[in-house]
Amino acid sequence: MIPTAQLRPHRPAQPMFYLAPALILLAVFFVAPILVNAVIAFTDMGPNLRVGTLTVENFLRIVQRDARLPLVLMTTLIYVAATLLLFNVGLGALLAIASTAIPDRLGNLFRGLWLLPRMSPAVLYGILWIWIADPSPSGLLTMVTAPLGLPSVNLRNDFPLLLIVLANGVVGASFAMVILTASIRAIPQHLSHAARADGASEWGVLRHVVAPALSAPIRVVTLYQALSLLTTYEYILLITGGGPVYDSTPYALYIYRRAFESGAYGYGAALALGLMAIGVALTLLQWRVSRMHATFAAPKIEIL
Amino acid sequence: MTRPFALFATVAISVLSLSPALAETITIKLSTLAERSAPARITNIEAAAEIMNQQFKAAGVDKQIVIDAKSSSAKGWDDLALELLKAFAVGQGPDISVLPHEWIGQFAQDGYAMAMDDRIAATPWVYGDILPVLWNAAKAADGKIYGIPQDAEIRMFFYNKDMLRKIGKDEAFINGLPEKVERGEFTLDDLTALSKEVVDKGGAQYGMLHRPNVGIDYLMVFQSFGVRFADEQTGKLIFPKAEMTKALAWYGRNAKEGVTPVDNTAMSWDAIQSAFKQEKAFIFHQGVWALAWQVGTSMGATWPSDGEGYFKKIGWIPAPAAEKGGQPMNLSHPLLYMVNPKGEHANLAADLVALATLPYFNNQHAVTSYHTAISNAQTAMPIYKENWALSAASPMMAHARFVPNHTKFSSYNKVLFSGLQAVETGKMTPEQAVDFIADELQLQFGAEIDIRDAVAK
Repeated sequence: MIPTAQLRPHRPAQPMFYLAPALILLAVFFVAPILVNAVIAFTDMGPNLRVGTLTVENFLRIVQRDARLPLVLMTTLIYVAATLLLFNVGLGALLAIASTAIPDRLGNLFRGLWLLPRMSPAVLYGILWIWIADPSPSGLLTMVTAPLGLPSVNLRNDFPLLLIVLANGVVGASFAMVILTASIRAIPQHLSHAARADGASEWGVLRHVVAPALSAPIRVVTLYQALSLLTTYEYILLITGGGPVYDSTPYALYIYRRAFESGAYGYGAALALGLMAIGVALTLLQWRVSRMHATFAAPKIEIL
Repeated sequence: MTRPFALFATVAISVLSLSPALAETITIKLSTLAERSAPARITNIEAAAEIMNQQFKAAGVDKQIVIDAKSSSAKGWDDLALELLKAFAVGQGPDISVLPHEWIGQFAQDGYAMAMDDRIAATPWVYGDILPVLWNAAKAADGKIYGIPQDAEIRMFFYNKDMLRKIGKDEAFINGLPEKVERGEFTLDDLTALSKEVVDKGGAQYGMLHRPNVGIDYLMVFQSFGVRFADEQTGKLIFPKAEMTKALAWYGRNAKEGVTPVDNTAMSWDAIQSAFKQEKAFIFHQGVWALAWQVGTSMGATWPSDGEGYFKKIGWIPAPAAEKGGQPMNLSHPLLYMVNPKGEHANLAADLVALATLPYFNNQHAVTSYHTAISNAQTAMPIYKENWALSAASPMMAHARFVPNHTKFSSYNKVLFSGLQAVETGKMTPEQAVDFIADELQLQFGAEIDIRDAVAK
């Protein structure tokens, strides 16, 4: 590896000057909110936003008394794992492979269709799912199941977790699809030609040429999407509201409901610190397990 | 002199010479919840400002009041109250806000609501005639009045008489129902049975529909089962388990028997209201102001706009008694005008509220939005008397109760509602739901809540 100093002998005189915009953005939108949140977590801040006393009461409440938390954590685990594996990575990879195996024009159209939910406003998307799941005769699912003689299913009431996994999965699959399509396109054509010349089947090409090229991007996608699923809740809030009761409330939505439904801001902030801890722990774990450092390591060939 | 400079000079001189003619503008900020059927909460304050502006002009006072009204799109009144608390906390509170009465305690405690007692005493020409019961709803824990009644209303069960005719009930039964409820002969369980009969005989798709979100109406049913939300002596919030279990069990039975859809709490307002209007639901539980969409053409069906035609189709009952011989219940949920004592023009804002509370103006609100009168004088005015719906609703105020003016009541009600949702959706038994609610209340309020086995200790 060539040291950077040799490539660019004239280092800028004031590196801080160039870094300042990025640092300010980080400080204002990233570090400051964390600090403010950390302080609020140790207060009794309620609906009137006033701080009465500094206290660890919120944390005691989390670890000792909050009987909803075990269910919420379990919901989070199921929701994140199922959405991630089945859709955000699984379906995404499948779409990428399928849409690159067919003629380009058709593939583009196909991918465009899958991008539609991502492009539509969240509220519209939420309303569409509510319509799909509506158990009355005018709901889409019922329109499909009724002629088949199947009883109408009330997804929002009876299978809320399945519904939010489906809704988030369909919108979330497109990210992996786009990234992995690019990865597949980047595989030198001659590799698969050579493999086929050597008598490899379609499956063999997929297994030995395409799959190895996808493993690194899949690791990135998994990490990124896991964190994203852990912290976002807008579709859930729109479609089930986290209900019935707390049945489809993952941790991030739980924080929102505690803090903003009844103005328990101190308690919400303490819960949010917990989410940060979970997020950092998950990232470190995944980094370790999926050997992410290899992905971000300097290239082994020279780039000039 | 160059041309641009000449132009600039001309503009500058004309602006300068104009400015003495411009009056001093006083902006009064007003905040309320966006409600299409109740525009007069804003227009009455605007009309009051217009009166003052004319007086300023007549007296040669160089001032002009401008009302900066904000109709919040918050989900409901509780969310609006939380929104306002945030605004006040950063010094952005509006001069006048419209709030549900149970929030007044919180705002008074935080110093966001002006104490009105002295003003009320000094302004008998408007406040002398307000219904005394409404002043009680405007009191905080210290016994002082912090808000001015903006409107009053009454909650009830609406039932569709045509459906009863369809399943073969005679007119005597159909029209005698309110009286039987009044005498305590027709109970909540009878109502369930009747709704089931209507559904089973094909009279309607839904038996009973109620609101999908946190609110006040369903609390009537709880009160019928003997629930009290606060200790009358101490004012402390209470959670009486035995009575709560019975009330939740009634909702559970309704859902189980197919009288109420299990996902009533996940339905949209639109779906619920149009189901009742399009005659797919036998009973709808809300309040008198629902007449704003019940009469006429809204929600995809046309209903008579005259009293006779309307009452031929629809009847009203309070929440029936839980047991035979018991007392039926009604709830009223008045809204208040609250004045920000720290506002730059707090006194002026309070004067505007006084003018807007005059019978003439309040009737503008009452008759357009179907809210009951807040003063005796209003009920005597022709515009009110001619409104058959309000005239019919006023006697129901006899059983009217209010929810407690406790700073934590709205959070309490939210927890109670999730318990109701849990029972209705079949996620919990009434007993489990009562334990769930008790646990949540304990978690949120600690010693501030008294969880009891029953109302009577």
